[in-house]
Amino acid sequence: MKRNRFLRITLATAIAASFSLFAADEALPKPETIIDKYIEVTGGRKAYEKHKTEQATMSMEFVGKGIKGAGTRYADANNNVIESITLEGVGKIDQGIFNGVVWETNPMTGPRVVTGSEKADRLRDSRFNGLLYWRELWKSAETTGVENVEGEDCYKVVMTPAAGQPETNFYSKKSGLLIKRARVVTTPMGEIPVEVFTKDYKEFDTLMVPTRVLQKMMGNEIAVTADAVKFDVEIPAGTFEPPAEIKKLLAK
Amino acid sequence: MKPPLLAALLTISLCAADLTPAQQKLNVDSFEYAWKTIRDKMWDPMPAGVDWKQIHDELLPKVQSAKSMGEARAAMRDMISRLKMTHFNIIPSDVYETVATKAKGDGEPGFDLRILDGEAVVTTVEANSPAAKAGVKPGWRVVSVEGKDLEPVLKKLSETYKETTTRELIMARALLAGLSGPRGSQAKAEFVDGAGKRVPLEVELVAPRGMESKFGHLPTQHVWFESKKVSGSGYIAFNMFMDAGRIAPQFSDSVQSCMGAKPCDGIIIDLRGNPGGLGAMSMGMAGWFVSKPNQRLGVMKTKENELKFMVFPRAETFDGPVVLLTDALTGSTSEIFAGGLKDLGRARVVGTRSAGAALPSMFERLPNGDGFQYAIANYISEGGKPLEGIGVIPDEEVKLTRQALLEGRDPVLEAALAYIRKQKDQK
Repeated sequence: MKRNRFLRITLATAIAASFSLFAADEALPKPETIIDKYIEVTGGRKAYEKHKTEQATMSMEFVGKGIKGAGTRYADANNNVIESITLEGVGKIDQGIFNGVVWETNPMTGPRVVTGSEKADRLRDSRFNGLLYWRELWKSAETTGVENVEGEDCYKVVMTPAAGQPETNFYSKKSGLLIKRARVVTTPMGEIPVEVFTKDYKEFDTLMVPTRVLQKMMGNEIAVTADAVKFDVEIPAGTFEPPAEIKKLLAK
Repeated sequence: MKPPLLAALLTISLCAADLTPAQQKLNVDSFEYAWKTIRDKMWDPMPAGVDWKQIHDELLPKVQSAKSMGEARAAMRDMISRLKMTHFNIIPSDVYETVATKAKGDGEPGFDLRILDGEAVVTTVEANSPAAKAGVKPGWRVVSVEGKDLEPVLKKLSETYKETTTRELIMARALLAGLSGPRGSQAKAEFVDGAGKRVPLEVELVAPRGMESKFGHLPTQHVWFESKKVSGSGYIAFNMFMDAGRIAPQFSDSVQSCMGAKPCDGIIIDLRGNPGGLGAMSMGMAGWFVSKPNQRLGVMKTKENELKFMVFPRAETFDGPVVLLTDALTGSTSEIFAGGLKDLGRARVVGTRSAGAALPSMFERLPNGDGFQYAIANYISEGGKPLEGIGVIPDEEVKLTRQALLEGRDPVLEAALAYIRKQKDQK
C-alpha cells in the first residue's frame, strides 16, 4: 500500500516535473492576448464602452484590527472620480479627480492637491474603462512568466509606465481573470509596496467586477467589499467638484 | 474599591519557587518568541550594536535553567535591556492581567496628577467633578490610596525606572490607574492640603471627561478638546491625537479663529499629559503653521520601509508665534508634533522634557502568560535625533511646582505668554 502510494507520488512528481519542463518551453502569450482575454471574460469591449458612469457602494475593514468603514465611489466617462470613505474613529476621507486635478481631504493629514508621480499614478488608475486604453496608459507590457497565486497558475504581466514604477499583474491561466496586482504606491510619505488581491467576481449589468479586494501593505490587510455596483446612473451636478479647502489651495 | 494596578505593584513578588517542566518549557517558548519577534520586526539588524544571535545563545541557557518565574523573566528582561530602548518590555503576568482588568472600569475621580519632586500632586481638577465637589484643589498631595501609603510605591517605581525618561509617565499612570474603577464606585484617597492638613476623602468615580471614541480594537477612549483666548493668544488643548473626524476640525476652527483681520498674538498648544495617538494627525495639524512646501516633522523607519511625516501646508497658515507646552507625560505623536515643529524652527517648546516614548509598539501575551511589548519602528525627528529615550528638550525649561499650583498659577503657561508678549513687543 505504502509502495503504491509512493509510486503514485513519484509518478505524479515526474508528471508534474515534465509539465514544468514543458511549461518552461511553452511560449508565453503576449500581454495583449492576456489583457484582451481579461476584457472578454469580464464582459467584452462593447459592454465596457456602453457604460458612461459608475457608482459603487463599499465597506472596508482593516483585517484583525477592528477598524471598519463604508464608502461610495462615483466615476464618469470624463475621468472624473470621487471616492468617500468614512472610517470609525477617523472620519471621512475624500479622494477626487476633477478636470485632471487630483486632490484629497483627510481629517488626519488635511487637504492636499496631489502632484508628481503620485498624480500620474492616480490618473492612470482612475481612467474610466482604463483597461480598454492600456496601450495609451502604459509605455510597455511584457509577459514574464507563470506564477502560482493562491493555488491558481497565473501569467505575470509587467506593466511599465512612462514614468514611475512598473506593476505586475497576475492573470489566471484558467479563467483569464485578474487575480493579483503587485505594485509600489507613491505617496508623499514614501514609496509603499502593495499587493492587491481581486476576488469574488460578480456580474453587474453585463460586466464582471471583483467584489472583494484585499490590499496588503505595511503589515496591514485592508479588505474592501463592493456591496453594490451600478452603471449609467445619473450623477448629480457638482458631485465631482472639489471642496472649498481644495479650491483655496488651487488658487494659492 | 480596590485599586487594581496599585495593588498588583505592591504585591509583585520575587519569591522563587521551583518550576515544573511544563512551566520551564513555556518560559523557553516565551523567550524564543520574544527573541524571534524582535529579530523579525527590528528595523536595525544590529540594534544598539549588539549581535542578536549571540544574545540568544548567551541567555537561552539561563531561561532553561531558571528555577523560578522571576529568574526566567530576569533573563528575558536582560535580553530586552540590551536594546537600550523603551517600548520593549516583559510585563509580569499579574500586572499584565491587572492592566487588562482596568479596562472594565473607566471611572475617574475628576482630577489629574503629576509627580513633582517625587510626590504625587494634583495638577488640575475638573469643574463640577466629584473631586471638585469634594473640595480637592490643585497643589494638594495624594499620600494614600485605599489606605495604602504611596510613598514606598513611588520610591519603588522611581528606583525601578530611574534610568528612563518614562519614569514620571509610568509613575503617574500607575497612580491614576489605581484611582480608577467602575463608574459609580468610590475611590478612597488621602490628601495633604495647602496648609499641610491631611484630608481623607471618598470620591465617586464618574465617566472621564470628553466624548467616547472607538478606534479598532483599542479600548474606548474619552477624547476632549478645549480652546480659548488667553491674554490675546489662542490656547488649544486636547487629551490625545484620536477621533480625528471630531478633533481635527475643532483644531482647525481654533487656529482659524486666531487668523484674519484681528489675529492672535500667538498660539499656545498645551500637549502636557497628551500621550499621542494617530501619528498622521500631527501632519495635518502642523500644516496650519508651516507655509513652506515639502517640509517634514521626521521619519519613521520600519524594517520594510521609511515613512516621512510630511507637513501639508494649508491654503492660509498662522504665521505668528507658536508655543508648545510639554511635560513628562507628553508622549508619542505629541512628541513627533512638538519635536518636528521645534526642529523646523516653527514652534518654541516650553515646559519639561517629554516622555521620550515615540515608538509605535505592540502588546502580546507570551506562552507563559507574561505580557510582551515591542516596538515596530524607530522615529528620527527632522533635526536628525531620535526621540526615543531622549524626548523633546524644551527651548525653555519651566517646571510646574506645588507652590505655584496652590497659588492657582501655571508657570509654564505664564512663560509661554511672556514669550509671545516679547515677540509682539519686538515687532
